[in-house]
Amino acid sequence: MEKGILGLFTYVDTLLEAAKKLKGSGYSITIFSPIPLGHEIDHALGERKNYIKYLAFIGAVVGFIFGIVLTLGTAVMYVLPRGGRAIFPVTPTLLISYETAILFGVFFTLAGFLVFAKLPSFKEKFYDPEVAIDSFGLLVDGVREDKFGDIEKVMREYGANEVKRIEKK
Amino acid sequence: MGQEHMKSEISYREVNEDVVRTMTTTGPAYYIALVSSMLVFAGFWLLPWAYQIYEGQGVTGLQTPAFWGIYLANFVFWIGISHSGTLLSAILFITQTPWRRSIYRSAEAMTFFSVLTAAIFVFVHMGRPWNFYWTMPYPNQRQLWLNFQSPLMFDVLAISAYMTSSVIFLYIGSIPDLAAVRDRVTGWRKEVYTVLALGWRGTDTEWHWLNKAYTFFAVFIIPLAVSVHSIVSWDFALSKVPGLNKTIFAPYFVVGAIYSGTAGIVTLMIILRKALNIEKYITLNHFSQLGKLLVVMSLLWSYINILEVFTGWYANTSFENEALTYRMFTPPYSYLFWIMILCNSFMPLLLIFKKARTSIFVALIVSLAINVGMWLERYLIIATSLPRKFLPYMWHDYSPSWIEISTTIGSFGFFTMLFLLFVKLWPSVSIYEVKEDIGIPMKKDHH
Repeated sequence: MEKGILGLFTYVDTLLEAAKKLKGSGYSITIFSPIPLGHEIDHALGERKNYIKYLAFIGAVVGFIFGIVLTLGTAVMYVLPRGGRAIFPVTPTLLISYETAILFGVFFTLAGFLVFAKLPSFKEKFYDPEVAIDSFGLLVDGVREDKFGDIEKVMREYGANEVKRIEKK
Repeated sequence: MGQEHMKSEISYREVNEDVVRTMTTTGPAYYIALVSSMLVFAGFWLLPWAYQIYEGQGVTGLQTPAFWGIYLANFVFWIGISHSGTLLSAILFITQTPWRRSIYRSAEAMTFFSVLTAAIFVFVHMGRPWNFYWTMPYPNQRQLWLNFQSPLMFDVLAISAYMTSSVIFLYIGSIPDLAAVRDRVTGWRKEVYTVLALGWRGTDTEWHWLNKAYTFFAVFIIPLAVSVHSIVSWDFALSKVPGLNKTIFAPYFVVGAIYSGTAGIVTLMIILRKALNIEKYITLNHFSQLGKLLVVMSLLWSYINILEVFTGWYANTSFENEALTYRMFTPPYSYLFWIMILCNSFMPLLLIFKKARTSIFVALIVSLAINVGMWLERYLIIATSLPRKFLPYMWHDYSPSWIEISTTIGSFGFFTMLFLLFVKLWPSVSIYEVKEDIGIPMKKDHH
């Protein structure tokens, strides 16, 4: 069974200092938190990429095209003359496309979130329920167990309340 | 009464415990309320509807030329109620307004339930609801397609898109809390929340993508919500009927929707904080902020109403004059009109005073009055226009039958039932965002 070492911290700044130190030493780290720490983590460990914005844009474009194809395509397949009105009207087509652009934008964003965040995932993973309450966790995994002593020392030095050796569950 | 601001003395652990408690501890009052709302739903809505389906639309008050009645007034009313939840939540998220955090979850749920109620009213209004799929563009053998130039088709697409996006917005924003609930419950609940939480662990990667995706959902939802109620207004405004054919209708409806939705949030929050005993999370400050918003919306709404009357009077065409005088000065509609003005233009002015804004009693009365007024507005739009079109020999006053009135009452039972189920099955206060409100624990003072 693969083992990892998890340090539980009360304060975010001390956790981030420890994370920076361990990351600098070449360890693969994961931070767990009960609240989003986007700004703080970006500030301490460097800005992360945002691919979702491209997906949202592509989704909106695809949706817009879908709306045009739906409105005009169905008008071609079933020609419905309405007292001399245009068979291919501009305004309703734009309106329908506006709605589908937003809808597809939402769908693509959702898909992006699920893919990048790797959810849903029900495999065994490192986790401690305390990090959903009031502890901030710092996990180091994928290292030989003889390194655990050094890692624990760093975590304690930076103020970890508790350091646990945990298994995937 | 609860304190005015959320205190930072609340600990993170307390938030988890309090929110899970609202879901797992259930008193007899809850069951009484749930069963009552179910009975109101079944007795006032389902049974009369079944009777109407069996007998046909003849049991309603709908007849030439008034083919639209109270059902569509209810449809617009419920769509309007839905507008504040998701829209307000998205706007306040983008503008990073802190007081959003403890109220937005229930407000978003309110959106979903009220859109659902509104959508069902379309089915009630249809003579043959089992043919509802005719409104969907699906491939078929005869290559019969829908007429996308009809505002009713805009409606189908806009409302489906709004409902779908609102549900996604609500669900994605709830995932971290569903995980927190998963960790604290046992038995069947554990299994359900394990699936609903999708395996969320709160890692930096998960939070990063959640935040990015959530921002985009909010960005998409704001124009969507505005377009939905504009489109609902075009169901009326794109006709040639005096009293309906107005260019101001789209902004009028959007303003009205946000107005009634915000009032709906106020009413609901008053009940929720009392019933779930969460006064420390939904504080008087929330009511004060929502009260300010209500005053702004009230002034906007009144301005558009004055504009509508002024431009109609200034145009001085006989059709416009007739439509306006019928609504404003002919009983029984004149009574309803002036009650509407009292409820929507005058009563909310009370909220200019801080003392009134932070009084739960005043907030409750004003918010209920606004929704009475907003319902009357929708009813008046429909009941005073279609029955009196251009040819006087075609005039025929509309009066709703007992079936229609009963269904209207039943819809409130349906909405209440859904909301009661929601508060027990879903974390109705956002755990992680309330924690953000409390503050990020730092050893050194960074700011």
